Amino acid sequence: MSSRDGAGQDGLESRFEAEALPLLPGMYSAAYRLTRNASDAEDLVQETFLRAYRGFHQFEPGTNLKAWLYRILTNTFINSYRKKQREPQTISDDEVEEWYLYSKMSEEGMEPSAESTVLESLPDEDVQEALSSLPEQFRIAVLLADVEGFSYKEIAEITDVPIGTVMSRLHRGRKALEKRLWEVVRERGLVRD
Amino acid sequence: MSEISGIGCDEVLHEIEHFLHGELDAERSAHLAAHLGECGPCLHRAEFQRKLKEIVRMKCHAATPDYLVGRIRVAIRVEAHAHQMPPSGSPPVADL
Repeated sequence: MSSRDGAGQDGLESRFEAEALPLLPGMYSAAYRLTRNASDAEDLVQETFLRAYRGFHQFEPGTNLKAWLYRILTNTFINSYRKKQREPQTISDDEVEEWYLYSKMSEEGMEPSAESTVLESLPDEDVQEALSSLPEQFRIAVLLADVEGFSYKEIAEITDVPIGTVMSRLHRGRKALEKRLWEVVRERGLVRD
Repeated sequence: MSEISGIGCDEVLHEIEHFLHGELDAERSAHLAAHLGECGPCLHRAEFQRKLKEIVRMKCHAATPDYLVGRIRVAIRVEAHAHQMPPSGSPPVADL
């Protein structure tokens, strides 16, 4: 850095780098799940950090920086990247019953411990593809909750919807994910047909 | 359905996804935990869901390319400098 930089600008820049950049790994991972490819994920994350830097003077110190950054990530994705991807936006609610995957695997008469062992044996790519196959709003909810570990309240803030909507999207998204995972388990021949 | 520790199995199974996500208050959470401690079938389902959640988390992580943090740091510095007016009379400084 040059010494001509004003202290304010310099302080903002170094504070942003110190506080925001350590969150890059999680954000890249989320971006990859959203865009489904490395090149778009890199661009999305860089765009997110630039937007965040431009707005950083408005960020209230002591509040949830991680949620704030993911909000920008999600909005940037929806506004800039989604247009490239045509996909269904809804899940028909009645088609997946409660405890879908558990019931299906139990029907196979598996030993209790074998059920999760089968899921563990799935290639990472299969599970990632299953998550990616969910319609966007459900994919985002499940990603934020179950991969990134955000609370319902944080997800409500990040996606700008009421907590009840978050819970509904999560519940339906998780069920749809279970259905897709079951299809993968069968395609892989991990259970008898 | 049977009631154990003051909660029925149907209630426990209905709330299990919130329980596993740490979204229940301490009292409710303790009730569910007590039920799970005594009810094998509910515990089995809860363990399955917990494991499933863990598998999704572990398998959906994407490793960040090594160069990306440097690329973003440079982009931020370019952005920071783009909005700085050079002091009058001094030549532009290229210091990236």
